[in-house]
Amino acid sequence: MPGIRRARKDSKLLMKIKCPTCKKKTEWQDNPYRPFCSERCKLIDLGAWASEAYKIESGLDDETGQEPSEKEIHND
Amino acid sequence: MTEKVQNINSSEYGASDIKVLKGLDAVRKRPAMYIGSTSVEGLHHLVYEVIDNSVDEALAGFCEKIDVTVHLEGSVTVVDNGRGIPTGKHPGDPKKRSAAEIALTELHAGGKFESKAYKISGGLHGVGVSVVNALSEWLDLEIKQNGEVWTQRFERGVPKGQLTLVGKTKSRGTKITFKPDAEIFETTEFNYDTLVNRFRELAFLNKGLTINITDERTSKEQTFFYEGGIVSFVEHLNKNKNSLHPKPIYISSEKDRISVEVAMQYNDSYTENIYAFANNINTKEGGTHLAGFKAALTRTVNSYASSSGLVKNVKESISGDDTREGLTAVISVKLPDPQYEGQTKTKLGNSEVKGMVESMVNDALGNYFEQNPSVVKKIIEKAIQAARAREAARKARELTRRKGALEDTGLPGKLADCAEKDPELSEIFIVEGESAGGSAKQGRDRHNQAILPLKGKILNVEKARFDKMLASEEIKILITALGTGIGTEDFDIEKARYHKIVIMTDADVDGSHIRTLLLTFFFRQMPQVIEQGYLYIAQPPLFRVKKGKKEKYIQNEGELENMLFELAADEIEIHNGKLLAGKEIIPYIRNLSRFEKLLEWFARRKKDTAVIKALLHYDLNKDVLKNKGDVQSLIRRLKGEFPDISEDIKEDEEHQSYRIELKREGLRLTIDDAFMTSPDFRELSSLFTELRGLGHPPYKLKHNSETNEFKSSRELFDFILSLAKKGISIQRYKGLGEMNPQQLWETTMQPDKRTLLKVTIEDLVKAEEIFSTLMGDQVEPRKEFIEQHALEVRNLDI
Repeated sequence: MPGIRRARKDSKLLMKIKCPTCKKKTEWQDNPYRPFCSERCKLIDLGAWASEAYKIESGLDDETGQEPSEKEIHND
Repeated sequence: MTEKVQNINSSEYGASDIKVLKGLDAVRKRPAMYIGSTSVEGLHHLVYEVIDNSVDEALAGFCEKIDVTVHLEGSVTVVDNGRGIPTGKHPGDPKKRSAAEIALTELHAGGKFESKAYKISGGLHGVGVSVVNALSEWLDLEIKQNGEVWTQRFERGVPKGQLTLVGKTKSRGTKITFKPDAEIFETTEFNYDTLVNRFRELAFLNKGLTINITDERTSKEQTFFYEGGIVSFVEHLNKNKNSLHPKPIYISSEKDRISVEVAMQYNDSYTENIYAFANNINTKEGGTHLAGFKAALTRTVNSYASSSGLVKNVKESISGDDTREGLTAVISVKLPDPQYEGQTKTKLGNSEVKGMVESMVNDALGNYFEQNPSVVKKIIEKAIQAARAREAARKARELTRRKGALEDTGLPGKLADCAEKDPELSEIFIVEGESAGGSAKQGRDRHNQAILPLKGKILNVEKARFDKMLASEEIKILITALGTGIGTEDFDIEKARYHKIVIMTDADVDGSHIRTLLLTFFFRQMPQVIEQGYLYIAQPPLFRVKKGKKEKYIQNEGELENMLFELAADEIEIHNGKLLAGKEIIPYIRNLSRFEKLLEWFARRKKDTAVIKALLHYDLNKDVLKNKGDVQSLIRRLKGEFPDISEDIKEDEEHQSYRIELKREGLRLTIDDAFMTSPDFRELSSLFTELRGLGHPPYKLKHNSETNEFKSSRELFDFILSLAKKGISIQRYKGLGEMNPQQLWETTMQPDKRTLLKVTIEDLVKAEEIFSTLMGDQVEPRKEFIEQHALEVRNLDI
């Protein structure tokens, strides 16, 4: 089936989000630092990418061996 | 009040305390030397100079109220309720003038030069009220002292007559009215707000002092009085901010005639807001008092950070700047002999003050930290955040520095770019892994498809545990290839070189990790890419199914099952009284599959599935557990079927029912309200009801005119599946690398055949929490999350 499958229709994003760095509630719309609450928090995140601080555990010590992240993106 | 105050005064403040110095003419010739300038700042300086005399009386404990009035024609009156300038004759003066007259006409004549009269003095800019007199068109002095009222008038510093006794009074104090000389000043218009700010500051700095200002030009009036002193000052400064702790920290101490007061409070901003005062003068250039405070704060925060263990996992060290981020503080020192340095003479130079302030703040802050662990924790966390941000900014700069594996074109060498230059028509595939990257490069349409191979970096953390990450070099290459830049200032979506950015990763765990990392990076650092709808996920097939010469690529497990069920349905008939055949069998097979998978899931969790099946057959009433009789008959029935079962019945008070704990062959099952109402059991029940359409076991199935019987639904399902799989081969692709370039092109990249999944912000907002959990340092929430999520996935993944 060719073409583009869209996960969901874009609606106005009036939602509240949690700043990934400080976890404070923040707005998406009209926020130049989205999804962060501030330039500072965005910068801390960029610094973490630059210093290779983000990693995902691959060791499957969990008995389910499930890979949840994949589902989150594929479902729908 | 007056009586009492006078009695406290041990050393008499008399005429002999005024030293005689000369030369008011010099002031009029070079006013800027004395008051800084003849501009609006210098003008206001006159008021400060006069009011400072009153504040000095307050500091000495003899005055608690100052009234300032700005008059319509430009003059200003300052009234205090202090002791009044001495009216007696000055003993050493050959002209037999009053001490008051000398104070107003002689430069550097003031009680302040002898520390005996005033222990601490504020307005000592080296000038005094005589300068105000010299620079005023006229000045009226009124002194109320010892029941008498004295007045004297001056014009441009010159006395018009002597200090004269004019009447009697019950109050006391000094009143000075002066009109700034328009010959001297560029402007003689006082600014209300400027005055108000200084008066408010003075009221803060001198706890308990009331300063009232009336502006007759506008009828504005304000009174400043702060019982809390500099604590109120800090609260005022933090008024519109979110404080990290409810009350400012207050420190006060006195030693060797030097008194030190500090009030401080952190807020959640990133700015440092510290005011340092010496004898009520705002020492804008800082000095030894500020240096002492900073040293003590840095030391104390660091020592608590390391002893509390809060910095254990923090690589960055906490600098002085870090400890002051979001800090609002007021430092006020009062000392007998201040020395001012610096460009504007607003830097305190007394070297002894640094050590004093430092050791005092060390002690007091240490004590405070000891007693307020929750506040300390917030302060230290804030400082750690600051240190991190500093370090992050440094690292982020490295990321944007343009060097490394770039070609002459400024593009990364790893990028196989497309010929098309119009971003709207260009696509980039971000491909994980070298071999897949190779296939993609060969299989692509070079005209408008670019390939960027990326590889995740594997980190061997422990034996049998490998962590995946994106190397910073890879991120750098990605940013360069996309052309957008990075960071709030530098990112520009208009510069994106491709309007389709396709993440193409393997369908295995590693691939999903790389995809998760990339999606997170885009979401957090380039959300505009997603908002514009530029970001996609490629959907490579998971299976290749071959039947004879025919080949089919299958996207996912659900699709594969559908295909298999359709194949099987064509060949079978089911007899359940009436005949089921062809397409009408498919829903039954699908339900059968879901039913068996759900049972398998129960079995994996060591639940007794034979008993569960039996319960389904019994078709239990939902209230069966509420009634002891029903519970007992249920157990009798189970025992009839499973003689080796043992049970334990308990009361479930919360649900007003019973809980049956069953044990059999090492398997357990608890039947209670929670079990009966669980989504899993409910779904199982409803599937079971649906499956009744198949009739009762043994199930009769006709295939190739041959009828088979099956004792259980499991056997029936297995047979159907084996029929479907007959004659076909199913290949599961573990990686993109298993496809040759042609296959990759046909299945995944070719625009008129491929499926791309468009990534939306809404999807990622929900996913963000998952990312955070997956990538965080904390192991517990992650485990918990994976377990929870596994439950959800079980229901979805069928």
